[in-house]
Amino acid sequence: MPPVMHPAMPSGTPTYNRRSFLRLGLGVTVLGAVGAGCAPAKPASKKADSRTFTIYWNAGHGYQAYKEVIDQFGKDHDLQMNWQKFQWPDLTTKLTADFRSGNVPDLVEEVSAGTGTQYGLAGNVLALDDFAAADKEFGFPGDFLDQAVVARQYEGKTYSIPLHLTANGLLFYNKAMVETPPATWDEFLEVAKSTTKDKVSGCALNSDASYAAPYYNQQKVDFSDVAAKQFLQPADAALQAMQWMQDLVYTHKVSPAPVATTDYSGPQKLFSAKRAAMFVSGPWDIGPIRQGSPDIELGLAVPLTGAVQSAAMAGSGLMIPAKARDPKLSWELITKLAAVKVELAATKEAGMSMPRKSWAADPSVAADPNLAVIAKALAVVAKQDVALSASGKAAQINELWKKAYQQMIIQHAPVGPTLDDFRKQAGAAL
Amino acid sequence: MIRRRQALTAWLFLTPAVLFFVLLFFLPIGNQLLTGLYDSDGASFAGLGNFSRAFRDPEVLHSFLITLAYAAGTLVVGTAVGLGLAVILNQSLRGRTVFRSVLLIPYLTSVSIIGLLWRNILDPQVGILNRLLEAAGLPGQTWLSTHPLATIVGITVWSGAGYTMVLFLAGLQGIPGLYYEAARIDGAGPWRRFFAITLPLLAPTTVFVSIIGLISTLQQFALPYIVTGGGPGNATSLYAHRLFLVAFNDNDFGYASALSLLLLIVVLILSLVQLRIGDRAHA
Repeated sequence: MPPVMHPAMPSGTPTYNRRSFLRLGLGVTVLGAVGAGCAPAKPASKKADSRTFTIYWNAGHGYQAYKEVIDQFGKDHDLQMNWQKFQWPDLTTKLTADFRSGNVPDLVEEVSAGTGTQYGLAGNVLALDDFAAADKEFGFPGDFLDQAVVARQYEGKTYSIPLHLTANGLLFYNKAMVETPPATWDEFLEVAKSTTKDKVSGCALNSDASYAAPYYNQQKVDFSDVAAKQFLQPADAALQAMQWMQDLVYTHKVSPAPVATTDYSGPQKLFSAKRAAMFVSGPWDIGPIRQGSPDIELGLAVPLTGAVQSAAMAGSGLMIPAKARDPKLSWELITKLAAVKVELAATKEAGMSMPRKSWAADPSVAADPNLAVIAKALAVVAKQDVALSASGKAAQINELWKKAYQQMIIQHAPVGPTLDDFRKQAGAAL
Repeated sequence: MIRRRQALTAWLFLTPAVLFFVLLFFLPIGNQLLTGLYDSDGASFAGLGNFSRAFRDPEVLHSFLITLAYAAGTLVVGTAVGLGLAVILNQSLRGRTVFRSVLLIPYLTSVSIIGLLWRNILDPQVGILNRLLEAAGLPGQTWLSTHPLATIVGITVWSGAGYTMVLFLAGLQGIPGLYYEAARIDGAGPWRRFFAITLPLLAPTTVFVSIIGLISTLQQFALPYIVTGGGPGNATSLYAHRLFLVAFNDNDFGYASALSLLLLIVVLILSLVQLRIGDRAHA
């Protein structure tokens, strides 16, 4: 606001009267308010802050079984439990920013095996072997299935503790549409063709590139061989797998082309809306189907057999940031969250499968037909290349794969050249 | 003496604003510049390596080109739609206040809500738009897959049209009515009056709208991130999305800082060019 010119003053010489001061004062007040709004929130007192325990968690895993453990942990230690839930990409973004700033949470759910290794080798999360060795009662690694443990280890160090162990590759089918679930690729195509009618698709592919893993694993294709700087080998088998997936959409027209999005629940939503007869996914989709469409008679079948029967390992873990305020306290919460009775409660609540051998041996698990299918899938999960996580380039290479996958499956790009481009770019990224 | 006291008073009042900009704008920009001179590990000095790398990086060049296409599409279509709505709602129509308010709602709505809303509307399988098209006997659309960038442009225009309209309405109401009266007496029709009076006298508003629009479109991140995740492939991975991936996916903050500074330079240059063009048009 320009100052008011007094008529008696020579032109160009500003002067101030009461009104102009009021205006300026108002301006400064507004500016101050804006500045205060932009400033970081006033930090809580050190004492209060030290009594807050922060956990980053996946939004889809906020089970009551975990909530009870976390609430009790807070009461036992007189802590304010700050349980923050995010979608995986947002959790990763926030965690990366936290590692940069040094202001980290006390415990973090790991998106998948290997992520902890990547962070651990960069010095951002702790190796947990000493904690586990000092805590025999917890039973790590003895009571945990080997594949869940090995995928989290590098050069003798373990950077996360498995929380869930699942397999991507289970065949979900609507029993009202599919009488006998297919077991092989040929049978799958046959059933998909016969169930594709009007507004119903025989199957539904996912826009998320990680859902291609069961298909190429079933052709004995390894995603990466970091030592040899190679990707999706053998090349002819990878071509066959991806071409087959593309043909489901464009040649046989038994699957709609997925839509590019950050949401991986597209096929499940189609299935729940009775617009798809089958889809390939993991146990995390059982809950949404049961809750959202209880009228659907859900069938769950073991992974398909291509050249071999195979599935992709999935499942989150728990890791402790290197700058967590009290790692011992964080470890204690890990032992409570990954205890077998909590695993069993989470399974009962959400149908999630777990990594403990004692969990698998529990009668309630052994008697559950769905869990029996998951157990069979876990027995055929493909081996992971731990060196990819250790390279620190896994996220970058996965982004390149996402681009290539969407080009092939959504944009109908030729499979051979697209795979070649991906291999070239991924090799260069390494 | 009086002048000195006045200057001191002025500085006293300016200090909060100066501090505000220095602390929250110029210092972070300086920090960004410093970070951009280092490698991804933050320890080894890279000089201008991160800046020159941007010009050889095909993903960055691709994202820059589609961002320019997105900005151009949004500016041209958005300005035309906003101006058209303003001209219509500047007439003495019944219920025009209601229309003006309704058209402004998308602009006042969070971009996250707009993104999720349109993602659900446009979903080819379960979206409401295809249900409506089917009901009307029309073929369904798959725009998010076949024309993803144009779809993002459309959503941006839809959400910003109300704001552009309000700016043009303010401009229209500043044009004296006697110009139109004189033109009418001279026998000028509505189109002639629009092109000979309205458009030239709206030049300052148009320059303002285009500069604000250019700055926001070149920095667009949230909408494609929510609607398409940058896909399919990298079809909607705009510059800011690429920058985000470099920082938070590749964990290369040095390169990401360099990319953001390059964007700042581009925005500054294009804004200055627009201002110069606007000045000439105004003159």
